[in-house]
Amino acid sequence: MEGVALKFPPLKLFNPNFPTSPATTVTFSSSSSSSSCSASLPVSATAGKEADSALGTLSLGHLTRPDFPILHQEVNGSKLVYLDNAATSQKPHQVLKALQSYYAGYNSNVHRGIHYLSAKATDQYELARKKVADFINAEESQEIVFTRNATEAINLVAYSWGISNLKPGDEVLLTVAEHHSAIVPWQLVAQRTGAVLRFVDLDENEVPEVEKLRESISRKTKLVVVHHVSNVLASFLPIKHIARWVHDVGGKILVDACQSVPHIVVDVQELDADFLVASSHKMCGPTGIGFLYAKSDILSAMPPFLGGGEMISDVFLDHSTYADPPSRFEAGTPAIGEAIGLGAAIDYLQGIGMQKIHDYETELANYLYESLSTIPNVRIYGPRPSEKVKRAALCSFNVEDVHPTDLATLLDQQHGVAIRSGHHCAQPLHRYLGVNASARASLHFYNTKDDVDDFINALSETVSFLNSFK
Amino acid sequence: MSSSVSSSFRLLTTRIPVPLSSTKSLFSSSSFKPTLSSPFLISKSISFQRIETRNQSRSPTSISASSSTSLQPVEELPPKLQEIVKLFQSVQEPKAKYEQLLFYGKNLKPLDAQFKTKLNKVEGCVSQVWVRAYLDNDRNVSFEADSDSVLTKGLAALLVLGLSGRPVEEVLRVSPDFAVLLGLQQSLTPSRNNGLLNMLKLMQKKALELYVEAEKGVLESAQSSEGGSAHNELQSSKLESNGDASSSNSTVVGSSSVGEGSVSKKDVKASEFPGLGSRGTRIKEKLEKELDPVELDVEDVSYQHAGHAGVRGSDGETHFNLKVVSKEFEGKSLVKRHRLIYGLLQEELQSGLHALSIVAKTPAEVGAA
Repeated sequence: MEGVALKFPPLKLFNPNFPTSPATTVTFSSSSSSSSCSASLPVSATAGKEADSALGTLSLGHLTRPDFPILHQEVNGSKLVYLDNAATSQKPHQVLKALQSYYAGYNSNVHRGIHYLSAKATDQYELARKKVADFINAEESQEIVFTRNATEAINLVAYSWGISNLKPGDEVLLTVAEHHSAIVPWQLVAQRTGAVLRFVDLDENEVPEVEKLRESISRKTKLVVVHHVSNVLASFLPIKHIARWVHDVGGKILVDACQSVPHIVVDVQELDADFLVASSHKMCGPTGIGFLYAKSDILSAMPPFLGGGEMISDVFLDHSTYADPPSRFEAGTPAIGEAIGLGAAIDYLQGIGMQKIHDYETELANYLYESLSTIPNVRIYGPRPSEKVKRAALCSFNVEDVHPTDLATLLDQQHGVAIRSGHHCAQPLHRYLGVNASARASLHFYNTKDDVDDFINALSETVSFLNSFK
Repeated sequence: MSSSVSSSFRLLTTRIPVPLSSTKSLFSSSSFKPTLSSPFLISKSISFQRIETRNQSRSPTSISASSSTSLQPVEELPPKLQEIVKLFQSVQEPKAKYEQLLFYGKNLKPLDAQFKTKLNKVEGCVSQVWVRAYLDNDRNVSFEADSDSVLTKGLAALLVLGLSGRPVEEVLRVSPDFAVLLGLQQSLTPSRNNGLLNMLKLMQKKALELYVEAEKGVLESAQSSEGGSAHNELQSSKLESNGDASSSNSTVVGSSSVGEGSVSKKDVKASEFPGLGSRGTRIKEKLEKELDPVELDVEDVSYQHAGHAGVRGSDGETHFNLKVVSKEFEGKSLVKRHRLIYGLLQEELQSGLHALSIVAKTPAEVGAA
């Protein structure tokens, strides 16, 4: 099909996916308040149906969907229902445009050049850093180190801070629900330093046992590594409290915010986090870029991670001196376009307002959980949602006597529904729960209740289909 | 689906200028909007034709099979597999293909738990799959398999039914290309398809091992490992001439025979003791040699501990039940007997053997003469 498309001169005739809505760019400033967003929400010119109805009766999902070109396609003969957002999110055309503009307009190496293009690229790159800092309420942009993704950011902390601060017998406290990226770097560093890793189990609600975590914090605890929101259990951890407990004993906390930064308001000063990591591709930004937030005094004391250009001050043959952070930790040419793309993603999210996104996704989360619960013999992992206990908009689940991979395959093949099946980079958690694998449906603010309905119908049919062979 | 499209393209070439209606239906099936004028369409259809023939000739050559450069003709497949392929080809609708696949899986005889070992596990599968091979009286290889995923079980069933009861050479000649013929390839995600590929590879590897072992048993079993390894190389070169499919497998045998003598002996002996892998065999041999037992039972119970923390990272064969009756234990306390056994198996304990459950008695204690 690609070969054929080349033959057709007017390409845009066959690309109904790109909404022509020039008005959208006007609404984005980095500090728009959420109250004004309902008036300035991007409504695509091609989405006639949506424009007719009063904005108030349409969900955030319906309103933002037109901005995401990739959602408007068919897979395997059915309309695509994308429910794998915890793995990666989709990008609004504003982000795509920013990437295009960068590469077409001012691509140039940053920090090194004198000429016009390079100055512009540098400005935009540093502006993106400022946008990230503002987004999570860091004190200054210098506290943001751009990395390839959250995994690299955690490795940075492990190999830079960990190696130089952990001694034999020191303890690093984690939970069994951590992502592999939060566990493995610390295993590697523990081997090198003689530090000990300790893991907190789940309680009867399938949430890490917070009291046990508190009790496990001692003078030996140098670092606590915890998720803010679990990518399997959908649970939230009380980071602010945990940070306080660990600070009381002189330790530090590293927050894996990959599933929280894209979905809720995250304020690093309010949480009092020492380290916080997130990935751009999960928050509507491009792949290939992520960041580490660290308090400036901690960052200043850390030795380099990767060596090379950009992170140096002076280079001699037998030794070199190093730059101040954040440059000290950004060796080589960074993913400039991608950082700028992340900045555009943050603009887009701020344009909607994180609190609004959070509120909408809470509604979706409850709807998903309740709808999924109607499937017979289904087992959803994590806590039950209630007034006190909030869940993220994702559900990892298993259906009795049905392998999750069979579910995911048939959902994709027969219904165009994209979910994930496997261990979701959380093998210790699955072992703890006593299963090999689970299926997971995860939503983002551009999903709607209709998506959930489509998913549940498809799931129901698939389960019946598979059960008919028993 | 591609075959039906290509046939309609073939129709086109014989009828230029093209009637608008037939191209329209083609276009709509690929969701194009026919807004261009007819002359455009005619020239476009010619270009379609060129692309399509490229596609047609592309499929046999671009298959990333490890060995064959052209699609293995259906006739070369084992007869039962041919039948299965033809059955799937006759079923056009994807859903119906799945039903067929699941039907096969449902009727697959389940695999006994004792065979769900690490050695029998197929790597690269999203679900768990085990495959077991054994030779029947006519030295044909037969297979058994199981999986916790019903779709994978279906695939396993295809292979089990298609390949069982056939001579080893025939099984080794099967190229994984036949998966394309099933028409399931595009329906199944790459990771699952790799499962089919890996299942087939494991089955072929096991078939080869059984064959080599059986051949070895026919001749006087070589006392020295060099004799064994030379023999293995002989066998592998003999089988190599049977086609490309076995070339990837001969390297498996090659590595086991070219290595240190004791290594080759171990790998080849893998199937000598039913239910015991190489470690189990080594344990048995060591204990036999050092303790000259009246009675010796070595049982691999690793599968009971699969998933247990200590087993992680090891290659299966981690937990064994031992029953040894030997004169060597006379005059030794229970602790001393166990220490004696542990001492003999030091090497194993340091290379992944996790635990032993030992019953150590003297002949007098068991009342044996």
